[in-house]
Amino acid sequence: PLSTPWRGGQGVRPRRAGRSEGKVQSCALFLLPNWIGGHAAYHPHGVQAAHIEGLWWLMFWVCSAVFVAVMVALGAAITRPPRESGPPGAIPPERHRRMSRVVAGAVGVTVLVLFVLLFASVSTGRAIESLRASQAITIKLTGHQWWWEVEYDDPVPEHIVQTANEIHIPAGQPVRVELASADVIHSFWVPSLHGKRDLIPGHSSEIWIQADRPGVYRGFCAEFCGHQHAHMGLLVIADPPARYAAWYAGQLQTPSPPADPLLQHGRQVVEAGPCAICHNIQGTQASGKLGPDLTHLASRRTLAAATLPNTRGNLGGWIVDPQTIKPGNQMPANSLSSEDLQAVLAYLESLK
Amino acid sequence: MSAEPIDRGLVADPADSADAEDRRLLERTWKYASGLWGWLAEVDHTKIGVRYIVTALIFFALGGIEALMMRVQLARPENGFLNPDLYNEIFTTHGSTMMFLFAVPIMLGLGVYFVPLMVGTRNMAFPRLNAFSYYVYLIGGLFLYTAFFLNTGPDAGWFAYVPLSGPQFSPGKRVDVWAQMITFTEISSLAVAVNIVTTAFKQRAPGMSLNRIPIFVWAMIVTSFMVIFAMPAVMLSSLMLALDRLVDTHFFNPAEGGDALLWQHLFWFFGHPEVYIIFIPATGIVSTILAPFTRREVFGYMALVLSLVATGFIGFGLWVHHMFATGLPQLGQSFFTAASIMIAIPSGVQIFCWLATLWGGRLRFKVPLLYVLAFIFTFVIGGLTGVMLAAVPLDLQVHDTFFVVAHFHYVLIGGAVFPLLGGLFYWYPKITGRMPSEALGKLSFWLVFLGFQITFFPQHILGLEGMPRRVYTYLPETGWGDLNLLSTVGAFVLGLGVLVFVINMIASKVSGLPAGDDPWGSDTLEWSTSSPPPPYNFQYIPTVGARAALWNMREDQPVVTGLRSDRREFLITNMMDADPDHRQVSPGPTIWPFFLSLGVGITFIVGIFTPWGVPIGAVPVAVSLVGWFWPRGDQGHKVLKEKS
Amino acid sequence: MTQRPALDVSDLPTTAFGMRDPLWWGVVGIMCIEGTMFAIMAGCYFYLRGGANLWPPAGTLHPGVAITTLNILILLASLFPMHRAANSAEREDLPAIRLWLILSTVLMVAFLIIRIVILHRLTFRWDSHAYGSVVWTTVGLHTVHVVTGICENLLFITLLTRGPVEDKHMDDLRLNSMYWYFVVACWVPFYCIFFLDPGLLGATAG
Ligand code: HEA
Ligand code: HEA
Ligand code: HEC
Ligand code: CUA
Ligand SMILES: [Cu+2]
Repeated sequence: PLSTPWRGGQGVRPRRAGRSEGKVQSCALFLLPNWIGGHAAYHPHGVQAAHIEGLWWLMFWVCSAVFVAVMVALGAAITRPPRESGPPGAIPPERHRRMSRVVAGAVGVTVLVLFVLLFASVSTGRAIESLRASQAITIKLTGHQWWWEVEYDDPVPEHIVQTANEIHIPAGQPVRVELASADVIHSFWVPSLHGKRDLIPGHSSEIWIQADRPGVYRGFCAEFCGHQHAHMGLLVIADPPARYAAWYAGQLQTPSPPADPLLQHGRQVVEAGPCAICHNIQGTQASGKLGPDLTHLASRRTLAAATLPNTRGNLGGWIVDPQTIKPGNQMPANSLSSEDLQAVLAYLESLK
Repeated sequence: MSAEPIDRGLVADPADSADAEDRRLLERTWKYASGLWGWLAEVDHTKIGVRYIVTALIFFALGGIEALMMRVQLARPENGFLNPDLYNEIFTTHGSTMMFLFAVPIMLGLGVYFVPLMVGTRNMAFPRLNAFSYYVYLIGGLFLYTAFFLNTGPDAGWFAYVPLSGPQFSPGKRVDVWAQMITFTEISSLAVAVNIVTTAFKQRAPGMSLNRIPIFVWAMIVTSFMVIFAMPAVMLSSLMLALDRLVDTHFFNPAEGGDALLWQHLFWFFGHPEVYIIFIPATGIVSTILAPFTRREVFGYMALVLSLVATGFIGFGLWVHHMFATGLPQLGQSFFTAASIMIAIPSGVQIFCWLATLWGGRLRFKVPLLYVLAFIFTFVIGGLTGVMLAAVPLDLQVHDTFFVVAHFHYVLIGGAVFPLLGGLFYWYPKITGRMPSEALGKLSFWLVFLGFQITFFPQHILGLEGMPRRVYTYLPETGWGDLNLLSTVGAFVLGLGVLVFVINMIASKVSGLPAGDDPWGSDTLEWSTSSPPPPYNFQYIPTVGARAALWNMREDQPVVTGLRSDRREFLITNMMDADPDHRQVSPGPTIWPFFLSLGVGITFIVGIFTPWGVPIGAVPVAVSLVGWFWPRGDQGHKVLKEKS
Repeated sequence: MTQRPALDVSDLPTTAFGMRDPLWWGVVGIMCIEGTMFAIMAGCYFYLRGGANLWPPAGTLHPGVAITTLNILILLASLFPMHRAANSAEREDLPAIRLWLILSTVLMVAFLIIRIVILHRLTFRWDSHAYGSVVWTTVGLHTVHVVTGICENLLFITLLTRGPVEDKHMDDLRLNSMYWYFVVACWVPFYCIFFLDPGLLGATAG
């Protein structure tokens, strides 16, 4: 449920709730040395992000030291009383020699420090690349303007799961994510777990991620991809392995045809109406591929690429007027009569 | 002002009547053209330099106003001030304006104004080309803004990644406008670069051997070389993009064998050197300002020059650090990390040399020096975050977030705009003949400095907290609202500071105290002539006996005589030692460069709509070229006859 | 006069050749810019080639080994009259310059005509595939240079015929030749890349 705290991972809360919390958090940023909020590159929940966090703090302290050293030198230089008089001109030779030595020394230290940083960077790079497993879940993630298509790969076609905008993974296990783009360049980024990797048309690639602890982690599209780049989020939900397995099993179910007349009507509207052109709902005639798969829509926490909490009100608002919520997105407004809309909502909400 | 008076003796004896006669002749020969026609035909480098500077500042104001609009939009979550379409147009126009229409042209403009004065010559090597460059730049800028106000401003980011900028995902003309604006500004910059290199190599005052060239001039030389070797990449890539969009080529279309990453390689092969093209002249300004305000020569001349050259070279080996997230092979990435980290060495050398100059110098805390100090403070932060970004793993986290936005504003504003503002203040008396107000200068300095830090420091934290760049809004629950609000407040303080600076510039033009030739007691040749300089710059071309030319002007330092004053003659010296070699005659005002730029403008602007733009534009281009080069026999050359 | 000693330069000449002349630096600057552009173009070619499965794409036929080779030979041959024109300029021998310029212009025009024939024989267009885009764009860029060279020659021929010819023009003529050497040199690698490609030589058109 939406109100569960997300143990560090940045999830989506119901609108307006939790604002004050956000405020406290970012005010604290200034006061505490440990300005580590709940959902950032420096608050890792996966091994790779943790490695990178280590590198970050190394960089942070080394660079801070360099900065302080330079500022101390600068401060001393501008507050020292002048040592020379007479007309302007070159620095006297013996002072010049002394200063040359100091400058050379500083350059030497710089080179040393840089070597340390280079070494740290390369070895961190090795470490984050070393996450692998022979038996791992493979998720095919395809970027669309402006949502994420998700497919769990499996040699058995019946075991393939299709979903969108929300990835479930078992906590504590490496997972392979195969990246592709259907249109322009996007970038897959879940700060709590790992750095980003671009989805480039014509260049498929893969990235391994792992969440050390269960939680809900927010991801972003990090490469500018047009109008709704801002609203192209996704959730990574790390579950304990058993919960994950249960979720997977649930996703494999084809929703059974509804018995309730209201739901039946809703389903009929979806199948006969425009929705079917773009959306797929397993076991119905809706098999469009232009929009997110809706087969288990109700099991997802958010709508429209982690833009809205998945509530009935938001769903209704989205279906009727998606262009106000995400101006420029690829889903047109739909004018449904209020009975039809209620039926559609009831039906979609039944798609657990 | 407070400077010790130094008798330069370069100005002639007013009582000497032969001398006065000579000056009258020079005055007539080099007279600025008058009237509108004359304005368009002017080829004097100080006139064109000022046009560059003023035009670039206007674009800075436009880009700054766009920045403020973005900041207003981002001030709170889910703000409705700008819709996504407009936001995208505005950040793209902001980035493109600041990089292509403000930062590069203003640096080149300062070069156009001061390189000839600093090396002691009368005009640029190719005065007509100089005028042409300016007009092409102006056309490019006007074109971009005309399109912008017609709602056809580019909206794919300042590096216009394909396929988003390609024919399929950006129909309409917006990206074409961007591509042609690039073409205009590149043509202009390339022409200026060639001009500056030639001027600095061939027209130095006798005695100004390579190791006596003022550091600012060295900086402009290195910058020009970087322009020459970097800009062709973006000219070519923007040509390819235009072709992909207009005649269906497939350079970037993976379906037909093209490659989206090719664009990124080409763009950043240019784009990384580009940032040093902006930064290196700024370091030249820093070295220039330091000497008079510490009353001593800049420490480590050789080290500084070699650092500039090294930066120029290494700068071509870093481009992939903008592409780490594309997932190129690890080994290659490590190479680029190493190269990016290596460039901290020449930057460090420069910082240390400047600190050594300050150490024990007799400092005068006037506005230009304040900007230099602010530069050191800010640039070191920006440089250090650059080193962080160079580390691949860390970059994977903060790439394309506000951390990067913070990095590059620290280096661009702290590293280039602060020295630039200091430099404008420093050179203002030379350009206008009047002193700017020190009080207003200090006020604007503090507003700019503090406003800047308030604007951009929080952005580091936002980036680490996961805020991607180029988002038109964000959700309230991200918790990014407060820092963004702070940043917006800072931006307005910064904007106010810029406004005060501009007011100071305008007001002092009218009410500033007369400056005299050398108000700051400086060491470079531009201060040996009057303020503003006469059209011929120097009545007698000076000779140079030491690096700090004016501080070491001996009683018996000779001046050059024997250049004819009845035509635009100037002295060519050899490249290494600046020994006098021969005399040449420089062209006077002519309208053809203006017409040529119009022809080029027509070619590229009509070219967006139809390939016929090329033949249509070719006609005015050809006519102007013929007019330009047609011998007019007024250059004092010997006419040859066929030997029968 | 000033009170300072004078360095009198009134005896210095008013023209100079080669590196001494600022214009030489200007032309070399332009050559650097355009040379970089062609080098990057070649880089793009190999980059795209590296990413392709089949290069050149299936169905691409050679436009004719003989005609492409003949054409590069014509281009190389044009160097000789240009060189002689530059030499004659040094001696200020106006009729000779004109003669050599006319000869080289004829060769350049011949080159251009044959190039058009070759383009007609290509089995692909710029919008067929990325390979086509690279080839056509490179040829196009180079053709612009050739046309510029021809126009410059024609201007000089007109000037030499009508006058007034100044000593300064002798330097311009030498720079004109130097620039043409550069235009020729730029094409040689592309001839090799485009027309000696083993993948293409196997598929000669009729
Ligand atoms: C004036 C412009 C300027 C300058 C000078 C620099 C300087 C540097 N930049 Fe920056 N950079 C930009 C402008 C500039 N940059 C822009 C515009 C972008 C973004 C483009 C975009 O995406 O829109 C960018 C982006 C950018 C990236 C890509 C980030 C990303 O997109 O993910 C990287 C990564 O390596 C980087 C690195 C560096 C480095 C290592 C330096 C170095 O040169 C810094 C060297 C200086 C110092 C280190 C400080 C002084 C040295 C000392 C005091 C010595 C002691 C130091 C040590 C021991 C460490 N820059
Ligand atoms: C030299 C380059 C330069 C300069 C100086 C600036 C200056 C500023 N920039 Fe910019 N910026 C870029 C280069 C630059 N920028 C680039 C390359 C990008 C990336 C674009 C992209 O992603 O494609 C960028 C992106 C960028 C962003 C990120 C947008 C996003 O990713 O969503 C932001 C957000 O805060 C920002 C803010 C600012 C601010 C507040 C200033 C301030 O410093 C501006 C201060 C100036 C003023 C406020 C003007 C004051 C003038 C007046 C008050 C008028 C005077 C009137 C007359 C003379 C008539 N910039
Ligand atoms: C022209 C294609 C199109 C039509 C018709 C269409 N949609 Fe969509 N729909 C989309 C696209 C594309 C998205 C993804 C938008 C985004 O997030 O950017 C989407 C998103 C959604 C979502 C959110 C899914 C998620 O996981 O976030 C729902 C729910 C939805 N549509 C329901 C409907 C219903 C119900 C109808 C019919 C009344 C309908 N759509 C008609 C294209 C369409
Ligand atoms: Cu997808 Cu940004
Ligand atoms: Cu860079």
